[in-house]
Amino acid sequence: MAATERGALLAAALALPGVTAAPGAAAQGAPDAAFVQFKYLDYRDWQPGGRRMRVDNPGFYAVKPLSDTLAIEGSIVYDGMSGASPLYFNALSGASGEGVRDYRTAGDVKLTKWFDRFAIGAGAAYSHERDYISRAGTLELRTWTEDRNRTYAFAFSGAADRIHTESGAAERERKYVLDFLAGVTQAVNETLIVQSNLTYSRGHGYFDDPYKLFDRRPDRRRVLAWLTRANQHFPERNGTLKVAYRYLDDSFGADSHMVEAVWHQALPGGWSVTPSLRYLTQKAAWFFRGPPIGSGLRPGEPYTADARLSAFGAFTPGIVVARDFGDGWVADVKVEFYRQKASWRAGGGGTEGLLPFSARWIQVGVGRSF
Amino acid sequence: MRVRVPFRAMAAEHEIVVDHDDARAARTAIDAAIAEVHRIEAKFSRYRDDSVTSAIARAAGGAPLAVDEETHALLDYAATCHALSDGAFDITSGVLRRAWDFRRRPPRLPSAAEIDALRPLIGWQRVARDGRTVRLPVPGMELDFGGIGKEYAADRAAGLLVAHGVRHALVNLGGDLRAIGSQADGRPWRIGIRPPRPGPGAPAAVALVDIADAALATSGDYERFLEVDGVRYSHLLDARTGWPVRHWRSMSVVAPVAVAAGSCATIAMLLCGGAPAFLRAQGAAWLGIDAAGAVHGTLDPGAR
Repeated sequence: MAATERGALLAAALALPGVTAAPGAAAQGAPDAAFVQFKYLDYRDWQPGGRRMRVDNPGFYAVKPLSDTLAIEGSIVYDGMSGASPLYFNALSGASGEGVRDYRTAGDVKLTKWFDRFAIGAGAAYSHERDYISRAGTLELRTWTEDRNRTYAFAFSGAADRIHTESGAAERERKYVLDFLAGVTQAVNETLIVQSNLTYSRGHGYFDDPYKLFDRRPDRRRVLAWLTRANQHFPERNGTLKVAYRYLDDSFGADSHMVEAVWHQALPGGWSVTPSLRYLTQKAAWFFRGPPIGSGLRPGEPYTADARLSAFGAFTPGIVVARDFGDGWVADVKVEFYRQKASWRAGGGGTEGLLPFSARWIQVGVGRSF
Repeated sequence: MRVRVPFRAMAAEHEIVVDHDDARAARTAIDAAIAEVHRIEAKFSRYRDDSVTSAIARAAGGAPLAVDEETHALLDYAATCHALSDGAFDITSGVLRRAWDFRRRPPRLPSAAEIDALRPLIGWQRVARDGRTVRLPVPGMELDFGGIGKEYAADRAAGLLVAHGVRHALVNLGGDLRAIGSQADGRPWRIGIRPPRPGPGAPAAVALVDIADAALATSGDYERFLEVDGVRYSHLLDARTGWPVRHWRSMSVVAPVAVAAGSCATIAMLLCGGAPAFLRAQGAAWLGIDAAGAVHGTLDPGAR
């Protein structure tokens, strides 16, 4: 029945001459209802002939307005991980360590206060695994123009991590990372929003992966990432196209380009479907060495065989199916599939001898606002 | 400071409130907004011989009449309302007033024959339009922008205020409201929703709704109705039956613009039990009071 065509009346109203809504009106303000959400993530990855890593991840997220202008939000996740860590090379097949069963508990809390022309937020996060403890703090400031068409965001965060493995590969090692973000979001017109963010991250300390043979990385890393996104809404189609591009400059040498396209389609009855496709192409880190393991290793110099620092291209198709039940309940299912291949690197030059690496995520979420 | 200008147009009491540092600038902006409301009334009022509405009615049964872009845009919008309401909302149904006289004292109900006699004059699907013209096929047919015009005027008035640099304002056209920003002190505009059955013991407002950069419209059997044998017949007539709807006493809707809030509220009244699903599909927040006086909806009656 025509009456269920979602948002059709508002779209028709905005087509009238001289009738405009305040852009971004709802975007800047304390949430006006409490929201709690439970998500369950199931992650598996594999390589041809290789074992799988599996993560079951129940998570809990809640946000609650404390007053008209103050909100607190927080989340807790609990990961159970089982299986061997991923295999990276043919040469390593069957040589990886014993099965691992580990748990991670993590939580964060953030307080945001809204004022007339700006909002400030402060947060803290803590994550605990048997061999890895991370503590982080963040401060952010957002400010907007009087017409609220433009928002500036500035954020600063710091993390202090402690790594200690029972194998002795890492003994009370430390890592410190500082992140700075500056961004601008502009509502160009009723249907187009453009955002550009620059993030600079610098860290020092222990960046090695203690579970990988010979892995030794530089003790300083700086990463500059520039992300630009645009969201174009098509009222007559009840859909939104989201495109993004990210350039990443990494002192490890693993520079990358990422492009993404997402289509969000609203459907009758509160349903929505959001297919997405992401492509990443990356250079190898300057201290990355291809197979066989240990080749090109020079004692005392950085070395890694971690496939995540190799030269490759990767595609991630995904889809989210969500339903807003209209009475405060929302539910969604998200499926993403990741496949990484050396030969998919843009312009060629991918790391030879690398097996394709695949992973998939299935996440189920249920939320309720009060 | 706050500048508040009451005025009268479209047979109702209106008011524009502006918070502004400069009272003269506020007044200039308000005057422009009021002039716009009067312009829309003059152009679309069915009570004025020189209006577009009257010209279209006079041409009914004759040759197609050329109309301007603004009129076409409103007709497009009316077509959407008609489709989304499955024909319950129909701007050709104003002729039913010839049978339903809500001012008549003593009140009387029309007979089924009186309503049937008007049916050949009702039916949006029979209105012929092309890009420039409109034609009503049967003499006696007419269009009534009453369900759209006031809210359209509120949005246009709000647009003029913004163009004059106003950042905090409330346009109140007979209880249909469009807020620009918040109040100057940052608090949202707090709107009370009148009880559909006022009287001794009834509260001044059944609900409080806070809005900023949004619109609130209420449709209901508040003023124009007739009561026969203790039953209240509202002026909201289902175009498909010619009879008033009785499921809801009132329906208040919050939407980004007044014209959407107003027609959502009216269509929700007409759809009776189908209102919640319709409003959910339109993404509107709402508060409805049913025939028994019970409150329903997604707006918290105690201020959002």
